[in-house]
Amino acid sequence: MSIGGFILRNAIRNKRRAFLSVLSVAVSLFLFVTLLVGLRELTQPPHDTGSAARIVVRNKISLGNLLPSRQKATIEKMPGVEAITPFTWFGGKFRGEEVLFGQFAVDPKVLLKVFAEARMTFEQFEAFEKDPTACIVGIKTCEKYGLKIGDFIKLQGTFWPLDLNLKLVGIYKGSIDDRNLFFNHRQLDEMPGSTGEVGTWWVKAKTLDAVAPLVQEINAAFSNTTAAVRAETEQAFQLSFISMWGNIKMLVLSICSVVVFTLVLVCASTMSMAIRERFRELAILKALGFRRRELFAFILAESFGLAATGALIGVGGASFLFNQTEIVVNASQNFLIAFEMTPRIMGQACVVAAILGIVSSIGPSLSVARMSVVQGLKTLD
Amino acid sequence: MESDPILNLLHSNVTSPLNASEETGEAPVVQIQELSKVYQQGEISIYALNRISLNIAQGEFLTLMGPSGSGKSTLLHIIAGIDRPSSGQCRVQGIDVTKLSESELADWRNQNVGFVFQTFNLLPVLTAFENVELPLLLTRLTSKQRKKQVLTALELVGLADRMGHLPRQLSGGQEQRVAIARALVTDPQLIVADEPTGNLDSNSAHEVLDILQSLCKVAAKTVIVVTHDPKAAAFGSRSVHLEKGELAN
Ligand SMILES: Nc1ncnc2c1ncn2[C@@H]1O[C@H](COP(=O)(O)OP(=O)(O)OP(=O)(O)O)[C@@H](O)[C@H]1O
Ligand SMILES: [Mg+2]
Repeated sequence: MSIGGFILRNAIRNKRRAFLSVLSVAVSLFLFVTLLVGLRELTQPPHDTGSAARIVVRNKISLGNLLPSRQKATIEKMPGVEAITPFTWFGGKFRGEEVLFGQFAVDPKVLLKVFAEARMTFEQFEAFEKDPTACIVGIKTCEKYGLKIGDFIKLQGTFWPLDLNLKLVGIYKGSIDDRNLFFNHRQLDEMPGSTGEVGTWWVKAKTLDAVAPLVQEINAAFSNTTAAVRAETEQAFQLSFISMWGNIKMLVLSICSVVVFTLVLVCASTMSMAIRERFRELAILKALGFRRRELFAFILAESFGLAATGALIGVGGASFLFNQTEIVVNASQNFLIAFEMTPRIMGQACVVAAILGIVSSIGPSLSVARMSVVQGLKTLD
Repeated sequence: MESDPILNLLHSNVTSPLNASEETGEAPVVQIQELSKVYQQGEISIYALNRISLNIAQGEFLTLMGPSGSGKSTLLHIIAGIDRPSSGQCRVQGIDVTKLSESELADWRNQNVGFVFQTFNLLPVLTAFENVELPLLLTRLTSKQRKKQVLTALELVGLADRMGHLPRQLSGGQEQRVAIARALVTDPQLIVADEPTGNLDSNSAHEVLDILQSLCKVAAKTVIVVTHDPKAAAFGSRSVHLEKGELAN
């Protein structure tokens, strides 16, 4: 028999308890990492410089209120502006149903400048620019619906009183969200009765340094007009979507801390129960010559083992589920894009598990240290 | 621990030239002087032991008797180094155990004392073999050496064929014999037993006392047994009576 075998034998002596406590650690850590992964997915704005240099201009009242087309000329003239495109949400039904991919009317000529990270062949961009009935679609949506170049895509307007029949001329990839469909804003502008309004303006700044003054300047420029705007960076814009559901980050983080706290309580009470049950045996070990530090090591190893096994199952399971399969992304009907476990989140979960192992061994270790052999021998089984 | 344990000698049934009576010339294994243990209960001091002085020679089989609460267990615990006296000296093989630190004492117990308890106190998750092996895990012995020694000890108590059994698969008498094997596997000089037959029927009790007696006679171990049973005391070479924490003559 080895010391390790002895520890293992003790840890699983009460099989049901060992099973249940490993399970509770596993489930809690699974929940913990899922929350973190979800939080990251929702709050992580695109971090490339492309998006950092993009400014979104929307109506100050709400996203539903449109902006007049004359604003374009004013913004275009501001120093530091590299390009500006209207960016209007269409939100039509595709094949008779509501779909999750966004449909946006843009200015094809400047699209490439504003969304420099999207990859598409030059010929496809040219085709998009030339044909006002053309559209381009991200590769994910194309794959999902089996779309290929030359197909016609019919969109049935819901918000806009207009149905579109667009010719797919380009398939792009490499953007933050390879699902969207872009079409020429002229389709909306030339609609009968159109006043040429746009949903938002997307402005690309020449340099990152130009972003902050530009935001201020745009906000100031229209502050006293009938269509006051709110300009902000793309990041801030994305985050404001999330803040529509309240401060979700705070919420998720407080749930996480409750999960961790409960987990510590569960483990600590499991361990102290497991050790209390064995007080007499630990007293015997002491009598046989085992020293305090050896008993500490036993206790620590046991609670560490418990936490580690739970972590292996919970975090490992989550990692497999999120990174090796598409189950979550598919279950969300592609609302979630990556839902990916990063090494950082995995590390955080492991730190939590390690703390768990250590913290829950403290109480039992202290009581074992205080216990005299004689006292321990007197405790009843 | 040396490679060739005295157990082998025992096992081969060679009678040792040593025995208690011839030992009296040498320094006693246990020397107790003015040993007291006081429990403070508020204003009142309870003397569990009151200035006890006692010598125990090598190879002696000493039985400690006396009414309940007279301090037998307390005395045994102090000699075995699991309890500390309030005052006085307790030397075992020349070492004053009352002066050792916690961890020194733990090492000392591992090498010099074998414990046998009334309630056997085997670890329930370990087999007989593993229970006996337990104290050896603290030594530098290889697993092969450990195995040899465990088998010798189990053979000595007649349970080599039960080594794979868990404590709950053994009878009380067998459990106690395994406990004795565990007590002697490190080849300690001193074996202490607190009412080892208290939970056994008379046959098993007889077996257990027989084994303890042979350890004294054959291997010159010093055995100290606390007992209430006069029949058990008859196995001993000397009996000491305690009365309210003092030696009674
Ligand atoms: N922790 C303690 N606190 C106070 N008094 C104690 C404590 N432990 C033992 N005593 C007292 O010390 C005395 C001796 O106790 P001990 O256990 O040595 O008796 P004993 O002779 O072994 O009795 P028994 O035959 O019933 O086992 C008793 O009066 C007991 O009440
Ligand atoms: Mg007693």
